[in-house]
Amino acid sequence: MTNSVEVPAAGGASASGPARKGWNPTLFLVFPTVGLLAAFLVFPYLNMVVMSFRNPSTSQVFAPGFTLGNYLDALLDTDLYYLEILLDTMVLGAATTAICLVLGFPVAYHLARTSSRFKSVLYAFVLSPLLVGVVVRCYGWIIILGNNDGLINTTLMDLGIIESPLALMYNTFGVSVGLVHIFLPFMILPLLGAIQSIDPALEEAAQSLGASRFRTMLRVVFPLSLPGVQAGTVLVFVLTISSYVIPILLGGFSVMIMPTLVVQQLMDAMLWPFGAALAFILSIAGALVVYVYFRLTSRAIRGIA
Amino acid sequence: MTELAIRGLSKRFGDVAAVDGFELRIGDHELISLLGPSGCGKTTTLRCIAGFESPTAGRILFDDRDVVGLPPERRNIGMVFQNYALFPHMTVRQNLAFGLEMRGVSKGEIGQRIARVLETVQLGDLGERYPRQLSGGQQQRIALARAMVVEPSILLLDEPLANLDAKLREEMRFFVRSLQKRVGITTVYVTHDQAEAMVISDRIVVMFDGRIHQVGAPDEIYSRPVSREVANFIGLSNFVDGRVLGAGDNGEFRLETQVGTLRCAYSETLAEGREVALIVRPEAIVLSGAAPADSAGSAGNAIAGRVSERYFLGNITGYRIACADGLVLQVQDDPWAGFGVGDEVWCTFDAAHAWIIPD
Repeated sequence: MTNSVEVPAAGGASASGPARKGWNPTLFLVFPTVGLLAAFLVFPYLNMVVMSFRNPSTSQVFAPGFTLGNYLDALLDTDLYYLEILLDTMVLGAATTAICLVLGFPVAYHLARTSSRFKSVLYAFVLSPLLVGVVVRCYGWIIILGNNDGLINTTLMDLGIIESPLALMYNTFGVSVGLVHIFLPFMILPLLGAIQSIDPALEEAAQSLGASRFRTMLRVVFPLSLPGVQAGTVLVFVLTISSYVIPILLGGFSVMIMPTLVVQQLMDAMLWPFGAALAFILSIAGALVVYVYFRLTSRAIRGIA
Repeated sequence: MTELAIRGLSKRFGDVAAVDGFELRIGDHELISLLGPSGCGKTTTLRCIAGFESPTAGRILFDDRDVVGLPPERRNIGMVFQNYALFPHMTVRQNLAFGLEMRGVSKGEIGQRIARVLETVQLGDLGERYPRQLSGGQQQRIALARAMVVEPSILLLDEPLANLDAKLREEMRFFVRSLQKRVGITTVYVTHDQAEAMVISDRIVVMFDGRIHQVGAPDEIYSRPVSREVANFIGLSNFVDGRVLGAGDNGEFRLETQVGTLRCAYSETLAEGREVALIVRPEAIVLSGAAPADSAGSAGNAIAGRVSERYFLGNITGYRIACADGLVLQVQDDPWAGFGVGDEVWCTFDAAHAWIIPD
């Protein structure tokens, strides 16, 4: 998960840079954080950058000398094997993000507007995926989705609705289910904040002017919640493209995405320089997508105070 | 144009009756104010008319067509909100176009109607601004324009001037009033500001605790209040408790009170011996240093007292007069009246300027 935290931080830093004025002693307070990030994020990353340019070796971690070969091998592979996996990763990220947005928006809207006394219970439900460890949650899904003895398949077969089990796991479907489940809170919470800051009178104004509930959503609520949409989608996207545990547990090796591939290269094949290069290709591709997305969406958001 | 009728409207929130048995007919072109303290049900009534609340009981008729089952977007209303509720992500022009687009008005006509309404609210050159770039008064007028440009059957205003500063608020009263008269649209105006209601309304509906206490023209509400609440809420009042002695000439009644026999106008019949309260407004009382010569037999009333407080308000001078038996009268006299604290004075007022509240 450490890998996943880094990408939004880099994206955020490039998007906002308030001008600093003078020296403020309270800045000492940021040193522990800066120190931690430097020690455990920046240095390892720099080490990985250097590693990705090293010569591969069969007997050691790397051989002496530097090369661009690792990147060229990944990018210029004649079967486009690695680029295809990169594209699959991005598509999985986009799909998970889109599903989270579609599923999360109504929940966020309801939570933002409800006056129910069970509001705190609803909050707890939204956060519940985060309250259980990732491995435990995935085993929960395995029990439900299992291809041979999973709850859904055995039930449907016992009822005679299907003859042979459905392929619910070890494919993109199973991975998406797990990812959406776990990342949904990361979509709902920013949306919730954004929707809560929209004056309910605006919706009433729209209705009084003749807009149906649906058109009110489309023309007033959604545009005004775009800052939350932007934050939520970026969060879920970067979390998805860098997720490892869920795709491995629910997808096995039949759903190959970049993080799986990187770990395979590093741990199984012990190809550290090549694995590092792949990791960087993923990071840069992810950062690029986020950057372009930010530029496009920020233009739409500019009208909102 | 549209006539609005509200029949037996009630709205309960749990055990609380926010509006209880509201009955009213609002004529074409008429501007009605719902006036009352916060929590009196005036806003709930407005929201029922708009369709944002569904009544627990009763009917709401726009020209004999019951709209209770209709959602707000199908009632053809125009509404102005206390905080204006302009769409912050749209320019003034887009805000004004919104309702017309929802009605499927053609692009060309939208342009014309926006130009016309911007002219009407005297903000013709602000079409491309965003709401946050406008002053409070400008936002207020745009909100009014947005509600009116769709040519609604009924215009609903929910404390539209409450967020403006005092000076601008007074100007806007006249602006709203003249605009409403010019367009001739049936209007319901919610306010807790009695002066605003007085200036703006054809008729005022005074509400307390979800019930209508009185409906009438501003001068009627002011000079002939039906209850202590109404009298207290609108202007300052002096109450003198008494018992009916009998009817005099010209629809007057004689009351026996703690400060002697007083005479008072009243239009209803009152049984002899009935406990009532006489109400007289502070500005109806005239102070004089000497006892009026013909206090008995004429239309006048006279109460002796002593000035206990005096305060200068510029256009008037206010007094508190301690009278017999602990009665304290509030009096507003012209600013040049030269009475000081401790002076013995006579408070005189005409029977026609007093009124009776049957408790």
